Amino acid sequence: MNREQKLKIYRLSESEFDKICEVLGREPEGLEWALFSALWSEHCSYKSSKVHLKKFYSQSKRVLQGFGENAGVIDLGQGEKVAFKMESHNHPSYIEPYQGAATGVGGILRDIFTMGARPIALANYLCFGRPDAPRMAHLVDGVVGGIGGYGNCVGGPTITGQTEFHSSYDGNILVNALAVGYFGEKDPVVTSGAKGAGNYVVYVGAKTGRDGVHGASMASESFDEDSESKKPTVQIGDPFFEKLLIESCLEVMKKDLVVSIQDMGAAGLTSSSFEMASKGGVGFNIDLSKVPVRDSAINPEEILLSESQERMLLICEPAKFEELKAEFEKWDLDAAVVGEVKTEKTVELHWKGEKLVEIDPDVLTENAPQYNRPYESWTSPRKVNQLEPISLTASLAEERILSALGSVEGCSREWVYQQYDQRVGASTAADASEGVASVILPESGRPLGLVLGCRPYIMRMDSSVGGTDALIYPALELSAKGFEPLAITDCLNFGNPEKPELMTEFVASVESLSAACKEFDTPVISGNVSLYNETMDKNVTSTPSTGVVGLRDSWKFMPHSSFHSAGSHVVSLKFGDFKLGGLGSEVFEGKVSQFSGELNVPMLAKAAVWLRQVVCEDKIYSSRLVGKFGLGYTLARMCLGGQGFEASAEMSPADWMAENLYQVILESSETADEIASKLPDDLKDFVEVSALGKSGGSNLKLSNDINISIEALKSKYHSGWSEHFAN
Amino acid sequence: MSMRIGVVRFLGTNCDRDIYKAVEWAGHKPHWLWYADHFDSNDVDAVIVPGGFSYGDYLRSGALAAKAPVMSDLVKAADKGLPILGICNGFQILCEAGLLPGALVKNEGLKFVDRWQALKLENSCEHWGADKLQQTQFPVAHGDGRFVIDDEGLKQIQDDGQVWWTYQEGNPNGSVADIAGVMNKKKNVAALMPHPERAMAAWMGSDEGLQVFNPQ
Repeated sequence: MNREQKLKIYRLSESEFDKICEVLGREPEGLEWALFSALWSEHCSYKSSKVHLKKFYSQSKRVLQGFGENAGVIDLGQGEKVAFKMESHNHPSYIEPYQGAATGVGGILRDIFTMGARPIALANYLCFGRPDAPRMAHLVDGVVGGIGGYGNCVGGPTITGQTEFHSSYDGNILVNALAVGYFGEKDPVVTSGAKGAGNYVVYVGAKTGRDGVHGASMASESFDEDSESKKPTVQIGDPFFEKLLIESCLEVMKKDLVVSIQDMGAAGLTSSSFEMASKGGVGFNIDLSKVPVRDSAINPEEILLSESQERMLLICEPAKFEELKAEFEKWDLDAAVVGEVKTEKTVELHWKGEKLVEIDPDVLTENAPQYNRPYESWTSPRKVNQLEPISLTASLAEERILSALGSVEGCSREWVYQQYDQRVGASTAADASEGVASVILPESGRPLGLVLGCRPYIMRMDSSVGGTDALIYPALELSAKGFEPLAITDCLNFGNPEKPELMTEFVASVESLSAACKEFDTPVISGNVSLYNETMDKNVTSTPSTGVVGLRDSWKFMPHSSFHSAGSHVVSLKFGDFKLGGLGSEVFEGKVSQFSGELNVPMLAKAAVWLRQVVCEDKIYSSRLVGKFGLGYTLARMCLGGQGFEASAEMSPADWMAENLYQVILESSETADEIASKLPDDLKDFVEVSALGKSGGSNLKLSNDINISIEALKSKYHSGWSEHFAN
Repeated sequence: MSMRIGVVRFLGTNCDRDIYKAVEWAGHKPHWLWYADHFDSNDVDAVIVPGGFSYGDYLRSGALAAKAPVMSDLVKAADKGLPILGICNGFQILCEAGLLPGALVKNEGLKFVDRWQALKLENSCEHWGADKLQQTQFPVAHGDGRFVIDDEGLKQIQDDGQVWWTYQEGNPNGSVADIAGVMNKKKNVAALMPHPERAMAAWMGSDEGLQVFNPQ
């Protein structure tokens, strides 16, 4: 094979080849090709994004572990901690939806329990194409089935999710999985850096097969007509095995039998061993012939690159190995010593008595190329001085509310979340039907809230506003239920970074997201980047999805999400003056939204704190943020619990349909004036408090002419899904 | 009377810790029973077989667990009249072990179903104090929850008052006669598909599940 062919097979560029020669002082040989291919892939090295990820606001007094480990960890006080992280499995899920999504859940769970945390909540952020796009119904069915199939069996409750639809995902869906894990007062936080010359390198879990070989480099490429042929690069998951790994790993960590541990994720044994050695500043001697294999004909390169699931690599002191092994055997798992830690900082790989390679781990991990790919500063092309007024009749407004409720963008997601076990663990307090899902923390009994963020239609409108919104919308949702947002994880799903216009969107949204995180003091503690989400030159909507975790002192006075009692005051809080056409522009008028105004992030952060105080008093029965499709749709959603709404405010049909960043609806025992009187001086000009009407009755009545029965709203909302999907 | 309640753990069981907690909340003492070990039925006042994917549902839900060493003792204890409760996968295991009539197969809709489910108590079971609840709602979460039994068997369990719970306001899995839970003839072995341990506190959505565990 000549060099050109090798570069193609190993997905390395000419300039990367030159860099390899430079760091090695010679040309790569034998297995080194495979090692560089895997660890220098976009997926493992973050080579296009690293320079920008460094800009993230990532520290606060709560952060115990930020980027760099399997997952970030924050301190919740009272001896409790949580680890959480979100990760993408976009490419495998498009090729093989059930297994792609299932192994996405498996991978993110391993990132969590590898830290020593017991998984207590799962969530997923999904973007699909149009329901009638080729294969789409099959992809939706497979992805949802795979997430449920894996998570339900393992016993992690899937408590929330976000499911989006847009034509830009027709050829490249997004599947992002998030997991939260819990540490009680006595649970240790375990990290991955290897330590201690003479310690054993131990392989635990499923045997290694040929599945997923070259998966990491596959995930770092765009799709073409040939993507079907990549099926063999997708891994197969076994949630039963994962459950055994969770229980056994948590037990050996609690018993202090483990020095450090890492799961074998992307690029399998290669990335776990080189990263553990590099992080610990030590070397390894590994005998690949001792790796438990499923297929005796497997070769060393395949062993190194296999992405077989449910495998861990850990470091153990020799004196503790027998106890460790017995613990794994109790759970029917094998633990095999595959090597030893050594002081000299090189990783040696042996195979049947022959040394195949010896290389400094830093060369593969730390010295990976970093690109500052070309981009431009963001100019907000869709910003206008004033939005074009839309004239809307009452009957058209009625029609649009119903049509939004039945649309694939706005209808009920029951079909999705009923396939997930939302309550295993017996700690779910608010499930996926709520705006803010929550679990009760085992030791303190406090509710931990979880919301996903990033609204693709806002990203299509403006990358900078969209990045800000990816934090602020979920942070306000948490605040509207009385939770303090604490920290976030993100999953940056973008197209081809070699195209400057996409890199421009990437940088704009990362910078604005980070700035918002700083103002809200919600650091980014973990995350993942997925680039090359393009098929045949068509890129997905730039989608920086987020998961935001919040905390509340108690469950007392938790507002509902639908109107709860008849005759209470329904009050609008408008923060600032930012108008947009919103999702309504896209769906009803066929054009990407424009906007006017600017987001005042520091004031929004202050308003969020004030909102939280208001909500935690015994005065708010229900609360909801005005979101996609605007005010009318939001009020309609609040009527679905059975209590209606009757407006007292007199507004035009267009105003009832308007979307603002940001607006909160409160159902309260207090009037708008009483709530307004609680505003501190510095928020008086920023927060507009106004009375909308009263809850109660069996209709959504916005005016004499916009008057819809709750039954009609419900029927549209609940039948929407089956109208778009036959399954 | 506070009871010592055995909680069986198989490989893959995932509601074991939830049951442990529910038993404590009800004021009893939970006691782990490991699948590979034998136990003395005199050591416990009752046993619960929890839900949750033992052996990953491989082969058939509950089939592998039913052959585990712990089950041989459980079958003997059942004969002696020890109160035994199965929930979800525990129901499947007790059917597979022959302790309960009928079988549980894939949901009619072929998909996993998680939702709150209205239930009606058909016949009370003296060991699991649910007779205080004539109507209630518990969450269901299962893929293989459809109770099936032949016509003759159905007539028999109906005649003998062995139907414990039925589904109301919609059947989540297509079970025969809307059956959600059954008992053996002696009524010391009882099981249901819904999860009372997920309805133990107001914040869960209901605290009526507590009644099933005979609160102290």
